[in-house]
Amino acid sequence: MANSKTVIIKIKRQQTPESKPYSEEFELTYRPGMNITSALMDIAASPVTRQGKVTTPVAYDSNCLEEVCGSCAMLINGQAKMACSALIDNLKQPITLEPFSKFPIIRDLQVDRSVLFENLKKVKGWVPVDGTYDLGPGPRQSAEEQEQAYPLSRCISCCCCMEACPQFNEKTGFVGAAAISQVRLFNTHPTGKALKVDRLQALMGDGGIQECGYAQNCVEVCPKDIPLTRSIADVGGQVMWQAIKDFFRT
Amino acid sequence: MASSASSIDTSPARIQKGVAPLRAGQGYSFLLRRLHSLSGIVPIGAFLVEHFISNSEAVNGVQAYNDQVKFLTSLPFVHVLEWVFIFIPILFHALYGIYIWYRGESNVGEYPWTGNWLYTSQRWTGIIAFIYIVYHTYNMRFTGVHLMGGGYQYAFSKVWFDFQSPWTVAFYVVGIVAASWHFSYGVWLFAAKWGLTVGANARRKFGFVCAGLAVLLVGIGLWTITGFTRTPADQVPWVEHD
Repeated sequence: MANSKTVIIKIKRQQTPESKPYSEEFELTYRPGMNITSALMDIAASPVTRQGKVTTPVAYDSNCLEEVCGSCAMLINGQAKMACSALIDNLKQPITLEPFSKFPIIRDLQVDRSVLFENLKKVKGWVPVDGTYDLGPGPRQSAEEQEQAYPLSRCISCCCCMEACPQFNEKTGFVGAAAISQVRLFNTHPTGKALKVDRLQALMGDGGIQECGYAQNCVEVCPKDIPLTRSIADVGGQVMWQAIKDFFRT
Repeated sequence: MASSASSIDTSPARIQKGVAPLRAGQGYSFLLRRLHSLSGIVPIGAFLVEHFISNSEAVNGVQAYNDQVKFLTSLPFVHVLEWVFIFIPILFHALYGIYIWYRGESNVGEYPWTGNWLYTSQRWTGIIAFIYIVYHTYNMRFTGVHLMGGGYQYAFSKVWFDFQSPWTVAFYVVGIVAASWHFSYGVWLFAAKWGLTVGANARRKFGFVCAGLAVLLVGIGLWTITGFTRTPADQVPWVEHD
């Protein structure tokens, strides 16, 4: 045991939304293929710090364990990443884990990311098909449209793009790249584009697309490789045309 | 579903902190941000290019430079032109730009990537260029020999005397580099934000165009400085002090 390889992880912890944060260090036995979520599971199985103090298991979000649910996003060595796909082998030790810094903390590594859900509601990020009778099949999408839309539909609402954005903060209340990209997705959808004008006008409100400073961290951190800067440029043009139409034609 | 009255309520809906959601349909920040972006291109950027080209007449000697100043100062409604197309737009662009800077939280330490560095550089070059412009405008427009209304024949002399101090020349170099960088990257940002360069490839190619623009402007600026520094004192009309 003494000769086996270990992994050292420093975790920023916080018991309640209002209490003071503190740091704890853990030393785990290395196993091949370990990731941050599996390390947190190891800590939960035996919550003892590196100094030998018995502590509480670290609270964290996780679900799918394969980078599709979006729940396990956190700051890993200071950067927004998914814990499930962050392999220990690729990380510089000691590894630091912190909760997202721009979202209210629930406990330890768990944060409240409901601002994205609120933003998706504001921009009407859906296809309007609810009704009292069967509307029948929708129009067909061409292969080209499908190829454009599919990467955008891969968004997992992890909020990494918002955490890494210098413009996403309490002063600006910026909507963030994820919701803007969903506007692009639903504006290209043959049925979804019925709400196009509503979405573009929503993005002109305070905290809208104009707050983007094009630092491009969003597209760098996105675990799903969504072309977010392209979406911002595309939707930025759509919003601009809508603003010109609203100004001169109403 | 009614919530049970337990002693510990951890319902996330109660957490009223963090970044506010989008305020759809509220405020004027869209208009102001887009005006800020546009004002950097027209009229400020257009004036910057005109100013670089006009000043480069310095390399053609004292007479050519003073003639160019005579042409510009004798434009009709010159005071209206300078306030409406130069002073007011620059003041708006600078003050609103400082407000934009204050609202952003630069994070190049955590995310040291090119786009993020350029984001930060746009703020620093902006403030350096503004400090330089305030000095330059105070010095050249609001104090000393007034170049309007016949003072144009001392235009070259006014700059030439200033450039006798190497510190002034150095400050001009810093101002030229900052303004050229800020304008050229601003053109790139304008194209990206207004949806002109949508694809990653288009943005990359336009990046080379804007980098070329920056190099060209810095080149013209430095060349113009040599027009003053290489002119011997006996060719420069002496400014008469009353």
